[in-house]
Amino acid sequence: MNNDINLSLLNSKFNIRYSILIFLLITSACSNPYKDLTKTEYSVSDIQQIPFTLPFSEKVLIFKTNINFYKNDISGLLIIKKTKDNIYRIVLTTQFGLKIFDFELNHGVLNVNHCIEYLNKKVIINTLQTDFNLLLMQNKTEAIYFIENIDLNQNIWKFTSGKINHYYIQDTESGKIENISSKKRNSEKISIDLYNYKENIPGNIILEHRNIKLKMNLKLIQQ
Amino acid sequence: MKILITLIVSIFVAIATFAQENNFKEVTDIEKVKVELGKLSENTSTIHSQFIQEKHLSFLTENIISKGEFYFKGPNQLRWEYSEPFEYIIVFNDKNILIEDEDKISTYDTESNKMFSEINNMMIGSIQGNLFTDSERFAVKYFENKTQYLLELEPKLPEMKNMLKTIKIYVDKSNISVAKIVMLESSDDYTSINFTNRELNKQIDNEKFNIKSDILD
Repeated sequence: MNNDINLSLLNSKFNIRYSILIFLLITSACSNPYKDLTKTEYSVSDIQQIPFTLPFSEKVLIFKTNINFYKNDISGLLIIKKTKDNIYRIVLTTQFGLKIFDFELNHGVLNVNHCIEYLNKKVIINTLQTDFNLLLMQNKTEAIYFIENIDLNQNIWKFTSGKINHYYIQDTESGKIENISSKKRNSEKISIDLYNYKENIPGNIILEHRNIKLKMNLKLIQQ
Repeated sequence: MKILITLIVSIFVAIATFAQENNFKEVTDIEKVKVELGKLSENTSTIHSQFIQEKHLSFLTENIISKGEFYFKGPNQLRWEYSEPFEYIIVFNDKNILIEDEDKISTYDTESNKMFSEINNMMIGSIQGNLFTDSERFAVKYFENKTQYLLELEPKLPEMKNMLKTIKIYVDKSNISVAKIVMLESSDDYTSINFTNRELNKQIDNEKFNIKSDILD
């Protein structure tokens, strides 16, 4: 009997500890890591000063691409070409050259020129629009803030848009934008890692969604 | 004088457009050509060749070029071994598709993947010649010049039409084998595949149509 009480006491103690731990984990995961750092407002017209040249490159960028979307693997060549300021042609072809999709991203709006039936669904097109807007810095923004995180060797440009914030994070040692993150109420929705830079264009890009099973793996083969 | 210049210019334009299609004229005796093309499958129990693939996209000034080696063994085994712009192997073996990409091997079956199955049917059908006898799926036009037959296939089925407007197959008359395939999309963008250094009916090991992991499990 005594043992039973002890056991239940132990259990409840364990539960409390466990709950605290979970609570801490949740709150720390959701808290804003940049909250205590000073931020200064950054002029939207200075967007080209951000050390991220991918959206402004005049070259044709060709990436070997794998897209994992739930249980589907799609692979081929992704071609990105800036045709005018804020207008991009984005085409994915198979190895054999057949087009999987052919989009125009025009001031943040993704127009479909062609898309295979299986992917041509509103929810998928909207997701791809979000992804390419984040990668090509085309999101509508209310304000940009500059944050210096000296401890982590980071310069951060925070784009705010309602409840959603987009972070472009530069590693001050390499001087390159090495991570892009999209957060809604401080919970990360999309993360993009960029590395192996070749002449200011990332050689590898890994884009991953946190709440849906979608991952894009891009490898630069021509610029 | 003006009229003369206009005349000369228009003659040049006419010659240029004519030359572009390499003097291809519509075939008059289609039945005879069909008999000739029937030799495609007889002549080619195996093919080993190099290939150059060009992707034309209207918004790009230069075509995207891929290169590699191609193997075919009748009735239904294909191996595309890309070496440029990166290494990639895709094997069609009966109903199976094997892909080797950066040491990762994936398998699919054509029945579960409609797009792969269409590509597979199209490639094998072009090489073996049964694509242009498939009147349910394609409307075919026959052209010829001194050295080649040109077959223009227009897909009839909606799902195929959605992907391609026309498939052009160029067949060498000298040995009745496929020299080039052009896949034209509805946007007029195209992919052309040129088969060079073709070796016909030489022994190809069945191992070529299988991809095995180097690591023994």
